[in-house]
Amino acid sequence: MKIERKLILSNIINGAFIILIGFFAFQNLNLVLTKLRFVEIADDLNASFLEMRLSEKNYFLYKDKQALVQIQSNIEKTLETIAGVRDDITRAIGETDLKELVAHLYAYAAVVEEARTTGSPADAQLETRLRAEGKGLKEFSDSITHLERKRVNDIILSSKWILIFSFWVILVSALFIGHFISQKILRSLREIVKLTKSISEGNFNRIEGFQSNDELGSVITAINSMSEELGHREEELIQSKKLASLGILTAGVAHELTNPLNNISMIAQTYAEVYDNLSEKDRIEFMQKVEGETERIRQIVKNLLDFSKPKDASPVEADINAVIQKTLTLVQNMIDVSNIETTVHLGDGLPHVFIDEHQMQQVLVNFVTNAVQATAAGGRIVISSRPGKNNGSVEISVADTGKGIPPEYLPHIFDPFFSTKGEGGTGLGLSVSYGIIKSHHGEIRVESKVGVGTTFTIELPQYSAQSQRQDNLTTEDKEVLELRQK
Amino acid sequence: MATSRIMVIDDEKIVGDMAKLSLEQDGYSVETFLNAEPALKRLQEEQFDVVVTDYKMKGIDGMEVLKTVKEHYPKTQVIMITAFANLDAAIEALRRDVHDFFPKPVKIKELKLSIKRALEKQA
Repeated sequence: MKIERKLILSNIINGAFIILIGFFAFQNLNLVLTKLRFVEIADDLNASFLEMRLSEKNYFLYKDKQALVQIQSNIEKTLETIAGVRDDITRAIGETDLKELVAHLYAYAAVVEEARTTGSPADAQLETRLRAEGKGLKEFSDSITHLERKRVNDIILSSKWILIFSFWVILVSALFIGHFISQKILRSLREIVKLTKSISEGNFNRIEGFQSNDELGSVITAINSMSEELGHREEELIQSKKLASLGILTAGVAHELTNPLNNISMIAQTYAEVYDNLSEKDRIEFMQKVEGETERIRQIVKNLLDFSKPKDASPVEADINAVIQKTLTLVQNMIDVSNIETTVHLGDGLPHVFIDEHQMQQVLVNFVTNAVQATAAGGRIVISSRPGKNNGSVEISVADTGKGIPPEYLPHIFDPFFSTKGEGGTGLGLSVSYGIIKSHHGEIRVESKVGVGTTFTIELPQYSAQSQRQDNLTTEDKEVLELRQK
Repeated sequence: MATSRIMVIDDEKIVGDMAKLSLEQDGYSVETFLNAEPALKRLQEEQFDVVVTDYKMKGIDGMEVLKTVKEHYPKTQVIMITAFANLDAAIEALRRDVHDFFPKPVKIKELKLSIKRALEKQA
């Protein structure tokens, strides 16, 4: 369900709850009002009953039948009052209690009537009956009044508890729903932050395990497909950068081809010149020389073709020095043409690394090309390899005595499309190199001083059986592995 | 007439070897070097009539050779060959009194003709 719908639903539920509580509170208040109205009436009646009892006492005290008439008039008034507010009373105390009250009144009236017409104040039996009826009426009336007061208290008390209870229910449910939804949003946001961070480091992963159909689900699906798309773009970028550096390389390699071609030309001309003086063995030697030179050409062309071929990254165990040597055959001529001195220091007995040779060549070609472009004729480029600072790692560096990179540019040199070469640069070389080294779990560093030179250093982890296994694993397997390590 | 002495300096061994073969057939005495340093040392020991040098070499390059030869042995003629058609280098070489300037691949017949003219000029 969408988060928006969840929020609406939870609001509806809380709203309904509030309405329900309001309804109950309203009902209770109405009831309380009814009861209070009755208590008010009952107070009036009680006053009236009290008056009757007073007249009753006067009758026995002063033997005056006028007191009985007073009682009768009071009874009549009371019955009239009851008839006037009959509905209110029925609602408050019910039909039965009302009938009983009226019955008590009639019984009392009957005794009063009897006393007025036939009785005498000296009749002890009549006196007892009259007093008993009067007392009964007053007591009944008092008891219902008392009961109703108690009910009013009960209703108010229960309303209070319902209100307190529902306050907590609403508070807890609002907090719970709020917490649940915000937790879910935060969790996805954390995943998204993690993924974008890994994308910025060149790992185009996916967020797995989020199968919700809500807005977050759509955001995560969008981010996943973006990551995938970026991965494709990166591959395209690597290939296009490779083709760009191929252009530079081709110029250098073309020069390199001139040497064997010149040699073949020299051999052919000399062959024709000195043909008559050659023995058969000499002639065969001449042809072998031609063969040797064509083999040289073939190697140069093969190197170039190998470099240009688009290939999926296929890391293998490799000797980094061999890769450096192979790269040098591609760039040596470019360096020579620029009249720059090259020094190569390759460390002995370096641990093997787990790399894609072509991608690594691409990085090295990029470094050397940058170095050549930054260095004036007569400058120096030092290419070296040595054991790295981390356990078993290998460091490769390309240092030049070129113009250096201004400190304000340093933080940006690995950003895509950042270039200081004007129209000549695409601004992609170093960012592609960065991506390649990151995907090899390596580090890339740069030190530069304006006017002194620049050193690019790569640090690659040592080859191990585990690194090979890990690279062959599926994403799912990797997650399991990560969980286990945690 | 004594045999003319010719020195060939080129870091491609085949260039020297082939030049030596065809020039020796024409009766010249030829010595070849793969770089300039031993060649210049050899010039101190023996006089050469013509020095054929590559322009682009590791260490001392063809222009240095031309400069040194013209400074110390003004009579010796220098022919420069280069794989790079470099106009600036050609102009500088002419300024430094180079006898001839050939792009690679060298036509041996042209080279021989140029050597012949150099020897005539020297005489």
